[in-house]
Amino acid sequence: MPEKKILTKNCGKIDPGDVSTYEAEGGFKALEKTLRISPEEVIAEVKASGLRGRGGAGFPCGAKWELARKSKGDEKVLICNADEGEVGTFKDRYLLQHDPFSLMEGMAIAGYAIGAGKGYIYLRSEYHYLLEGLQKAIDQSKEKGYLKDLEIEIREGAGAYICGEESALMNSIEGKRGESRFRPPFPPESGLFEKPTIINNVETLVNVPHIIQNGSEWYGAMGTDESKGTKLFCVSGDVARPGVYEMELGCDLKELVMDLAGAKEIKMIQVGGSTGGIIPSDMLSTPLAYETILGSGAVMVFDQTRDVVDFTYRTMEFLNEESCGKCTPCREGTEVMVGVLGRLVNGEGVDGDMEVLEELSDTMKLSALCGLGQTAPVPVLDTLKYFRKDYENRISQSVFLRSLKTVNG
Amino acid sequence: MGDVKLIIDGTEVSGPSGMTILEAANETDINIPTLCHRPDLKPEGNCRICVVEVEGSPRLVASCHTPITEGMVINTCTPKALAARKTVVELLIAGHTGPCVTDECAKDCELHYLAAELEVGPPRFQVKARRSYPMETLSPYVQRDMGRCILCRRCVRACTEIAKKNVFSMAYRGFHSKVVVDCDVPLDKEECRDCGICIDYCPTSALTKPNKGVS
Repeated sequence: MPEKKILTKNCGKIDPGDVSTYEAEGGFKALEKTLRISPEEVIAEVKASGLRGRGGAGFPCGAKWELARKSKGDEKVLICNADEGEVGTFKDRYLLQHDPFSLMEGMAIAGYAIGAGKGYIYLRSEYHYLLEGLQKAIDQSKEKGYLKDLEIEIREGAGAYICGEESALMNSIEGKRGESRFRPPFPPESGLFEKPTIINNVETLVNVPHIIQNGSEWYGAMGTDESKGTKLFCVSGDVARPGVYEMELGCDLKELVMDLAGAKEIKMIQVGGSTGGIIPSDMLSTPLAYETILGSGAVMVFDQTRDVVDFTYRTMEFLNEESCGKCTPCREGTEVMVGVLGRLVNGEGVDGDMEVLEELSDTMKLSALCGLGQTAPVPVLDTLKYFRKDYENRISQSVFLRSLKTVNG
Repeated sequence: MGDVKLIIDGTEVSGPSGMTILEAANETDINIPTLCHRPDLKPEGNCRICVVEVEGSPRLVASCHTPITEGMVINTCTPKALAARKTVVELLIAGHTGPCVTDECAKDCELHYLAAELEVGPPRFQVKARRSYPMETLSPYVQRDMGRCILCRRCVRACTEIAKKNVFSMAYRGFHSKVVVDCDVPLDKEECRDCGICIDYCPTSALTKPNKGVS
């Protein structure tokens, strides 16, 4: 399956600083079409297309919009999640940098569908250099009259991974500490400033104009049963040609990393960012889709020279650093895990370390408050599943080293 | 009795919509252990001890903040829920300083009661370095020993919601999260007078009246 450029078709073709070049490529035609039909019809079309959230969780987009549309409240809010904090993900940056107008069109359509008067773009602090271009895109679209009913404001994050999680993101916009909220109530009922809120990823919103323009049937013909459309994959790590690749969902992982990105001697691949699952080299023909493995679309390749326990330790260190500290399983669990993995890496492992990791993982997965805590153990569990031998070796090495110390006094 | 019907541990229960699982359970004398939750404070769901199993939900849900819905089937004491609760208590014990077992404060430490109730022994887990902060004795009203804090945030909410003083807030993140005063300075504020509400709400002995309870 070769690359299929739909979302990225304008990238490199248009001038991201000039709205007329976007119009020349057929831009804002979908918005015109949208305004001729009712909001309910727009939602029905998006629902029929099978579009699912591209941020990682994969919630059906149309269903979410419908909830917000039906939710009581005069003022509704649309938030575009451009925090893109997931490790190894850079697709949203690519879209924002090369085609910000598609996002404007997507937001205008989404705003019309749910009845939102206020829109926010939550931009991660590391993307500060995109702020100017994005603001220019908002201003130009507004000048041309495309954002008549939607006032878009850019809010910058302050560098926290957790603020890509929707409830923490809303806290951050509200000026509160970036911490997850418990659910229910879900954002479509009560979100930002307790108003009905829709939070969509950049890529999700960029999909919308194409669905409206070409129809849900056209869109639904791409992908698998549960994963429709195309997806931007961010390939990084030990590959010859890292970058953003747009492929139909359900495409072969092997084709993406080996044929397109040029990876050799793969040991494992982490799909979906730092909390993503691990695919060992003998399972490379796994299709990339929501029903198998996908997440945010980050595909990080590790070759044979990489150490699995080292990798898990570093991943856990990151998650530990980025845990917001609200709920016990995540706050304390990641700290204990870092301790255990750190000991393994330093040759101080003991028997029973793997069991401790598994026990903790179970509790975190089941009882943590938000997605971070619930998925933090995924890389640990997956590496334990596929590379148990590596852990065992680390422990036996540690035991051996200690015995030498005892002998030598 | 209200209009939402559900089943908790095999007993049919009903309550008004908006009621939480915990409230519904308490009405039928089903005990779910809690730590960060107090009936007179807004729920926050941070300790995760009150987790229960809801049929059809892949994860455990915290009963203190989850509203009841029609037809819910809840089991409060499944092996999964018990295991999670135990692990959470172990984690809390492992992370905080304090000679709990030998200290006389242990007699009114809620974490201790919970550990006994859930049959938690010495924790299987270790953290690299337990929390340790210098004792704050500046204020004549509240003495703070943050090494014993288990971050339930009851003091924060009590001070904000009941005393309406907003003396405490949260700072730092992850394991290093801490209940702080202003920009993490020792407590000695004009607003903080002899109300002592935070001391009453502290489950451990992190907050005490000066010269009492801590040797």
